[in-house]
Amino acid sequence: MAVSDKQSAAGGRAPGGDRAPGGDRAPRAVRDAPALVFAADMYGVQLDQLAVLTGGDKAARAAAARWRSVGYAQTGRLGPGAQWLWVTRAGLAACGLKYTAVPPALSRLAHIRAVGAVRLALEATAAYREANAFWRSERRIRLRHGVGVREHLPDAEVHWPDEAPVAWAGECWAIEAELTRKTVARTAAIMREILARTGDYGCPAAEAMVPGRPPRHARALYLCSPAALATVLRARAELGPLADRVDVRDLPAGAALDGSP
Amino acid sequence: MRDGLRPDWLFRLVFLAALAIALAPVTLVAAGAAAVGWWRGWPPRRLYQGAAWCLPMVIVWLAAIAGWPSGSAPPGTGPGPVWLRLLAAPYRAWLAMWHLGAAGHIAAAAVAVAPPAIPLGILAGGLAWTRRIFRMQSGTGGLTPAAPDRFDARQWRHQVRTAKALLAAPGALPLLSPNGAVVAGSAIRSVGHRPVRTAAIPYDRLRSHQIVVGSTGTGKTTLLLRLWAGFMAAGLRRYAAGTAGRPLLVVLDCKGGASSRKVADRARRVLRDAGARDVAVWPDEASLSLWTLPPDRLVTTLLDLIEHGTGGAAYYADVMEALVSLAVGAPAGPPVSSRDFLSRLDADWLSAAYAASGDAAGVATARSGRKAVEDVALRFRTLWRRLGPGLDGGGSFANADAWYCVLEGTSEPAVAEAQARALTDLLASYATSARREILLAVDEFSSVSRRLPIWQLYERARSLGLAVQVSAQSWEGLAAFEDERYRIAATAEGGIWLLRTPRPGPMTELAGTRIVLDTSRRLGGAAGWSDDGSTRPRLAPVLDPDIVRQLDVGQVAYVYRGGVTYVQVKRLVGAQAALAPVTVVPDAAVAVPAPATVAAPPDAGEVLDQAFGTRRD
Repeated sequence: MAVSDKQSAAGGRAPGGDRAPGGDRAPRAVRDAPALVFAADMYGVQLDQLAVLTGGDKAARAAAARWRSVGYAQTGRLGPGAQWLWVTRAGLAACGLKYTAVPPALSRLAHIRAVGAVRLALEATAAYREANAFWRSERRIRLRHGVGVREHLPDAEVHWPDEAPVAWAGECWAIEAELTRKTVARTAAIMREILARTGDYGCPAAEAMVPGRPPRHARALYLCSPAALATVLRARAELGPLADRVDVRDLPAGAALDGSP
Repeated sequence: MRDGLRPDWLFRLVFLAALAIALAPVTLVAAGAAAVGWWRGWPPRRLYQGAAWCLPMVIVWLAAIAGWPSGSAPPGTGPGPVWLRLLAAPYRAWLAMWHLGAAGHIAAAAVAVAPPAIPLGILAGGLAWTRRIFRMQSGTGGLTPAAPDRFDARQWRHQVRTAKALLAAPGALPLLSPNGAVVAGSAIRSVGHRPVRTAAIPYDRLRSHQIVVGSTGTGKTTLLLRLWAGFMAAGLRRYAAGTAGRPLLVVLDCKGGASSRKVADRARRVLRDAGARDVAVWPDEASLSLWTLPPDRLVTTLLDLIEHGTGGAAYYADVMEALVSLAVGAPAGPPVSSRDFLSRLDADWLSAAYAASGDAAGVATARSGRKAVEDVALRFRTLWRRLGPGLDGGGSFANADAWYCVLEGTSEPAVAEAQARALTDLLASYATSARREILLAVDEFSSVSRRLPIWQLYERARSLGLAVQVSAQSWEGLAAFEDERYRIAATAEGGIWLLRTPRPGPMTELAGTRIVLDTSRRLGGAAGWSDDGSTRPRLAPVLDPDIVRQLDVGQVAYVYRGGVTYVQVKRLVGAQAALAPVTVVPDAAVAVPAPATVAAPPDAGEVLDQAFGTRRD
């Protein structure tokens, strides 16, 4: 499946930096460019999660200090656990991303962390890496999303390329991280909306759900906290045949904001 | 012969000119600094600050001179002990500048004299600019009688231009300042307040009563949105730090109609960007439950929702009160919905309910009111039909960080009055039980304040620890009566925001006065002013009503504690899409069009098991 905005994330580079001894231009600020793009896509990231991307706590702190020094990121202790890092306007410009530069909303920290943990867990699998799959974050989806349009947005989409060496190549998955308990009816309605959708987010309303067209999301992957699990399972049970396309799992370890497993 | 051409004047002129030439670098920098101050409309304080910021450069320069090896003597340095070098440094720099300049090394001359000349020049420019402003404000400067006024008008334009430039600078005006104050915009001019670049008010002032007055189209909504977003962001920050309860913003928009819905949508977006988790729009997308009120409070509120008469009608009011009390206080517990309540307004039901619990007095009251109970039920049935479902849902103020309540005060004032009464009662009840920092913003409340005078709202809010922000299009719109208006304005401890309005007089009065100098001067014929005249101090309003009448869109005067700061408000743009609560669809077959028949997707358990463990069923 073609992913139009995939390249923009990969192309992030800094306008300046130091030269490496060999004479090659090695911009220091973007030594961990994918991690910077990760932080931008996810609204923000805690340093312990950043450590997974950079290869260790020390490297994460060094990367954060480097980005901070060039004005690409800011850090702060917004809630329990490790410090948060978020990308500034300059950092977003360097990554080629047109998001609004804002710190992670305090009310969404737990959710942002949970989604970040889901992404890290999925990206750590061999199949994901071999397939070169693409994580399209909610922030990226929202960028295309028309202001005032009232639809539910998934927490992310995972696009599996057509040529990927997996049985589900070409599929698009909707990812939902559930931390709190909604009503069963509301959860089921969201599931139906995700599974029935045929158009991309931000498409004309007439194309959003066209009967007869293949659905946009081949499956919905729900990652649940213990508190939300029962509700999600009951909601899935109400879907009838659609339930086969909803996969419910536990949130990975370290998804909780306070760092508890 | 004109007075200014007398010999002593001529001598002073020649002396000053010679001094200016001798200290040419300082003169040049001073002229430049004063010109920048004039062009940017800066207060002199900023020039003084600029001079102070040069001190590190001066210190480094002096340290270099003190530590320079005695063997070599580059331009500007010289032999001698350290104290002599430091003392003579400005003179030697000045001498070196002239020598280098004479030799044609202009750049080197500038570098040699820069360390002492730049701070001294900026300081001198600041002093000259101070003197110029003082002469114009006291009326002793200028060539014509109209010069001070023209100077002031020109400076206002310059100050506005500078403030707008600051607004346009990316990232220059965040919503919150580093110390947590709410940034409203850039400061144009301050009178009685410390001159600052960014107009920021501490969070505590938003937790006090405030007033916002401005005509339609002057930027009132933009200002309110910024203040609300600032309150939310600062409140959430304090909440995260554990120093305060979670913030709650409740907006009562008493105009109604499509324009209110537009503002609600904007508010939702900016508040969400500010960190609000949920923004509920009442009654369009969310509802509250009046039935969560404590029974005694519920009786009072229900009675207040119904219009009462006086005189003979008071009898019916008493009968109604008795019946409503019976229905609410029935042994089965208070009603949980309007349907439940209306079904209780039945004499037989009331008699049976109270008889079952052995309450003879209740039974007697129910029997006495048998004749009136049908009428009471009819009135409440009509009331609930007009009120709609907004107060009959299951919601509570706890469900969202912000509630935007649209009351149709323009098209249906009677309904809006009842809604306003019920909403404020609900909020008051919620405030007593919840530990939250609450800001109640009411717009054009006077149109619905017949049953709940706004000063009562103020008093009640004060006792409950709520902050009330009242906004209106004019002084008259603040309240129904003049004494109420003054009472509200006088208790606005958080300050008064005044946008363009044709009648700023009462607010001007409240802002207080300051001492200004009034100068009268004698005209000296065609040559202009003479030196003769007199100056006397007088009291003038701190808030200039003429400026308020001429404020442009987005400009506001913030009056606080006897001073005023004119502010160019920074517009907030909600970048993200508005998120409404997902509609709960009872019937899937109706709600969602059938997609193409899709077979179960291939098993992806391999990757999912590896990432998240086993599937939950």
